[in-house]
Amino acid sequence: MAAETEATGGLAGEMEVEAYRRLFPLAFLERHLRESVRPDARRPAEARPTTVALGAVSSAHGSALVRLGDTAMLASIKLELTSPPSEAPDEGSVVVEFHMPPICSPLVRPGRPAEVAPVITKVLEDILMSSRMLNLKELCLINEKASWLAYLDVYCLNADGSLFDAALISAVAAFTHLQIPLVSVGDDGRVFTVGRNEGKIKCEFVNREKRKLKLDNIPFSLTCALHKDSVLADPTAEEESIIETSVTIVLDSSDHIVSIQKPGGAVASMATIKECISLAKDRRRKLREILMDSVEAMEVDQTD
Amino acid sequence: MSHARSARGEREELRRHLAVDSDWPRADGRSFHDCRPAFMQTGPTTAASGSAYAEFGKTKVIVSVFGPRESKKAMMYSDTGRLNCNVSYTTFATAIRGQGVDNKEYSAMLHKALEGAVMLHTFPKTTVDVFALVLESGGSDLPIIISCASLALADAGIMMYDLVTSVSVSCFGKNIIIDPTSDEEAWQDGSLMVAYMPSRKEITQLTLTGEWSDGKITNAVELCMDACSKLCDILRERLKDPSSLASE
Repeated sequence: MAAETEATGGLAGEMEVEAYRRLFPLAFLERHLRESVRPDARRPAEARPTTVALGAVSSAHGSALVRLGDTAMLASIKLELTSPPSEAPDEGSVVVEFHMPPICSPLVRPGRPAEVAPVITKVLEDILMSSRMLNLKELCLINEKASWLAYLDVYCLNADGSLFDAALISAVAAFTHLQIPLVSVGDDGRVFTVGRNEGKIKCEFVNREKRKLKLDNIPFSLTCALHKDSVLADPTAEEESIIETSVTIVLDSSDHIVSIQKPGGAVASMATIKECISLAKDRRRKLREILMDSVEAMEVDQTD
Repeated sequence: MSHARSARGEREELRRHLAVDSDWPRADGRSFHDCRPAFMQTGPTTAASGSAYAEFGKTKVIVSVFGPRESKKAMMYSDTGRLNCNVSYTTFATAIRGQGVDNKEYSAMLHKALEGAVMLHTFPKTTVDVFALVLESGGSDLPIIISCASLALADAGIMMYDLVTSVSVSCFGKNIIIDPTSDEEAWQDGSLMVAYMPSRKEITQLTLTGEWSDGKITNAVELCMDACSKLCDILRERLKDPSSLASE
């Protein structure tokens, strides 16, 4: 290892930067980290610029497009009327799916889904349910008779690292944007949704007061790449492919830890994990502001 | 359901207007021979060699191009390059969830439309992958995918004889309507799609379905070719100056 660093150190003077970056990615990263800066000019603890645009898909009931640096995620929620599950007659249900279509990365081919996609689906579902962000009782319309089945589909449009963080932001933003359609009961007792254009028709609405979900507890996450003594917040795909291990911290609105994940790799000390948690706390506040700003921006758009 | 019946009545009314009247404004306010404003942009997917985004009204498409890269191991040796096309839809692209997530028919049609334009001999033994994802389907999906794919190929620096642009028309009674929306496509009597290389004045693909008469076909093809040339100008502008937002 030391020999390689030395040899490449000698070669580096004569090589083009881009060639050096590709041939010796590890040495390239470590030379940056010695100067406390990352290949994309960020500080180690700095996350990439993040934007949230609500209502990106007009055919959905709620949607959001999130950009985390070059990583792009599109989340959409569609509601369908069903009857509630028999074991919980006063609750609706949510189906979560994370997709990595072949357009998002050179590693994904059609017909051969990416291995990480089902993993992110599972973790995303667990976090959304266990953080108590959603109250499933709010998705129930009439006890034992009618409830909502919410399909949350998150599409990765461009994969450049920290996919789970971006997926969680987009999922949370889509639920913030979700507008529940009006529902009425016909004379025959059938439950149906009332479209926007048919609002003039006189009928009793079941849910005139319940058009938005109450989201008390909004979880946000931060992934930190750990490499030797360095902690790199919000790693890019290039960094993820080189580093030894990573830690993902999920915090709720009151900074309580919802989940910590460290999927294998090199060992990490408790001190390092504590450092990650404090970075995640700062990041959570920042993300909350970004989400609030995007909600305001959307409301301004609508009043214009 | 009374309102369902009235909706159907309204639809019949609109359909009759499209078929009989000379130039009735369409549901989105366009006249019969107006295309929707086209918004196109290169480079949404940085992970790909080249990519493009297209938005025509409600229809939104992203195309990524990868390669030229190593062909699949199982592939036979080939002197010329291969073009591999795949079209898929998001689960929320259509009104009913999860219809046609992987569209084999469009994948094959996209391949046929582009095959004649790409200089396959410039990348022997390798494959260029063209992957399209329809984020939202709002009518004229395939022609928009084809135009967007040719912009993405150009963005990736793949050698082509010319850019391919594509436009479709719907036939209603005696009228021809350009760039139909999904509603119009659902009620049409017939449809015609042209994929065209404007600088070479060559057609790479022409599909026709439904009821057509000879004279009308000639008219419709000319209408499409004209619109294709205009669309191609937008594509060229995009490639010359990616930062300016071209829309017509």
